[in-house]
Amino acid sequence: MSKRIVINPLTRISGFMEIDVIIDQNKVVDVKTKGNLFRGFEQMLVGRSPFDAVYFTQRICGICSAAHSIASSRALEDALHIEPMEQGKYLRDIIHCCEFLQNHIRHFYQYTVPDYVKFEQNSLFQSDHDDFRLPKNSNDRISQHYFDSLKYSRLAHEMLAVLGGKAPHNHGVFIGGITTQATAEKVVHIDSILGEITRFIDEKMIPDVYEISHFYADYFRIGRGYGNLLTYGAFNHYKELGTLYVDPLVSTMESVEAFDESKIQEKIDYSYFKSVTDSNKPNEEVTEPDMDKEKAYSWVKAPRYNSRPFEVGPLARLILSGAYNNGISAMDRTIARALEAKKITRIIKILLQQIIPGVDVQKKYELPELTTGRGLVDTTRGALGHWLKIRDNKISSYQIITPSTWDFSTRDDNGFRGTAEEALVGTPIQNPDKPAEIGRILRSFDPCMSCATHVYRPGKQVKTIKVF
Amino acid sequence: MKGQILVPKSLTNEAIAERLTSTALKNIKKGIIKKKPLIYLELNGCSGNIISLLNGQNPDFEYTLNSMVDLCYCNSLMAAEGDRAIEKLIKAMNEEFILAVEGAVALKNNGLYNIIGSWQGKPLTGLHAAKMLGERASHILAVGACATHGGVSAAKPNPSQSVGLQQVLPDKNMIKLPGCPVHPDWFLGTLAHLLLYGEPETDNLNRPLMFYSTIIHDRCPRRPFFDRGIFAEKLGDQTCLFKLGCRGPVTRVDCPTRQWNGHVNWPIGDNTPCIGCAQFGFPDAMAPFISYDTTRVVKNE
Repeated sequence: MSKRIVINPLTRISGFMEIDVIIDQNKVVDVKTKGNLFRGFEQMLVGRSPFDAVYFTQRICGICSAAHSIASSRALEDALHIEPMEQGKYLRDIIHCCEFLQNHIRHFYQYTVPDYVKFEQNSLFQSDHDDFRLPKNSNDRISQHYFDSLKYSRLAHEMLAVLGGKAPHNHGVFIGGITTQATAEKVVHIDSILGEITRFIDEKMIPDVYEISHFYADYFRIGRGYGNLLTYGAFNHYKELGTLYVDPLVSTMESVEAFDESKIQEKIDYSYFKSVTDSNKPNEEVTEPDMDKEKAYSWVKAPRYNSRPFEVGPLARLILSGAYNNGISAMDRTIARALEAKKITRIIKILLQQIIPGVDVQKKYELPELTTGRGLVDTTRGALGHWLKIRDNKISSYQIITPSTWDFSTRDDNGFRGTAEEALVGTPIQNPDKPAEIGRILRSFDPCMSCATHVYRPGKQVKTIKVF
Repeated sequence: MKGQILVPKSLTNEAIAERLTSTALKNIKKGIIKKKPLIYLELNGCSGNIISLLNGQNPDFEYTLNSMVDLCYCNSLMAAEGDRAIEKLIKAMNEEFILAVEGAVALKNNGLYNIIGSWQGKPLTGLHAAKMLGERASHILAVGACATHGGVSAAKPNPSQSVGLQQVLPDKNMIKLPGCPVHPDWFLGTLAHLLLYGEPETDNLNRPLMFYSTIIHDRCPRRPFFDRGIFAEKLGDQTCLFKLGCRGPVTRVDCPTRQWNGHVNWPIGDNTPCIGCAQFGFPDAMAPFISYDTTRVVKNE
């Protein structure tokens, strides 16, 4: 007998999300993931000063704001034909690394750990299910680390603020790299905090994630998805340092190849949008709604690469960089986030060693009357792209594809589901009245639904929309 | 508060906020004050204020949770999900509680642009939750720019028709803590004051005077450059950022003395203009954030 499970809200994510699952004989047979807030950033940006986009787009997301400042700065550099100095890139990338650390520590301890570890102390942590398997001593240890971790995610933001002014919503990332100049004091300030965070990751976070994986080994076998992986590249293309992490790559079951941005499409076959064609380049504006469109069931556009859905994020990056080969699953994704945090601490260390104090990388920038630009960068949750057009010194178009749009996209004309939807299909649900599996698998993707939207029409079916 | 005398050690905002929170903690531990339930409602926004609150240092989140308030509901942090999460929200409403709200209230389609959960099989909108909880709360804190006046969620052309919390609760008294995001001290210091002495003294726009009393420009360490007419021409310059569009002269908050993230830096310290994120009207009234020449001769305007 089939049964419908609706979880709304899916808590412990950034933003609001609803999940609608059909199970048959205790197995997931169909899934819809829906974002639950709409603000319309792409519309808000039109008509604003292009320089403001760097600070404005950060407000898309409170947990990954620096990511948007970086994509936006890169898009503007592309549009203004500015090549940042290496010192500017290093400092900006250190800010980005700090955000990775803040994000991964918070996502693991504050968002993921309560799925697997039972907390006694506080009603905030009362769980809905009873699938808690850790022995008491490790359960107690990891639940204490939940609180211990707060210091380290806070310190990651402190490092970020040393260069970025404040966090969330930093001021330091800008065209040309960064607005401040490094000093010896700043370098040692960051290096000293980095030592503390590195010890926490080595001694607590990584052992904790492996401890959890040991008792929940079945999660290595569920939540796989299509297995297509994509990265725009991260901490790469330095003139002297080369690639510190990963180059732009895509992999499918058949092959691994260099990423080619011309193969990105946004499909709208099943989305309530009207356009000349149902597949568009990401810089082409598709905003004309059409709710009577045949076949359409959602407002979410479906980003595709070479016509296929792809997974983005820490696991994709680790596998594509050759640093991980255990597999693709809910648990592998969670482990990858902790291992990536470790890798990021090493990257900061290398970048810090390159810093020359007192270099001012800023200039007075002029805007061309007519120009376009794009900024593609891998951020905490995966591939982030900003595409902008400038006309008469104003933004005339701004399109964004966030990592969570890749992972939580809808289906397409080839019959492919979204990546996270596919990851849930086939999952055995032990107790349909208290399903622990759905939240665990979805959180393994670290959904950021501050970037997703929802439209209801009175008397009509719930629709999902791509939102910022 | 018998027997509690605050030694007037230091009258800086930082010292006052720290004293308030530590005294509140002591009194809760002694059982003088009872831990009050706190409902933290996230509405239409980026959930950046809760992230900022996790950056709290004195007290930190663990202290806040274990010793100051009983946090009954928080979408970003609670273990429960789905119906059971909403049940907790409804249950908490039956007792006396403090309500903190971040994010704007989306009015479009009767609030359906921001669904915070599902209740009795129907979508629970941010609008409905804000009204329902706001009417019953003993105290209300509007946390961050979107809650205090709509903020970025209400930026032109405001596709979700977002408004600040006061607009849907016109008759309710609320403390407003503008900022994008709020500084953890502004929130936790206000909360401590509430628990210890009741609502803090506020200005005519309901901002606590202990944090929002003074214009940034009046305490800016770069003020001497302004007074001598030495102005930055680009970001990264270490002089007065006024001509790049700095909103310090219209923004009333204590960033110059408090600073951010462990009190290590702030936007002007980072050689960028203040964008007025803690002032009503942000962002549209503060745009453009960055202009390379605000004193140019304007023709044909």
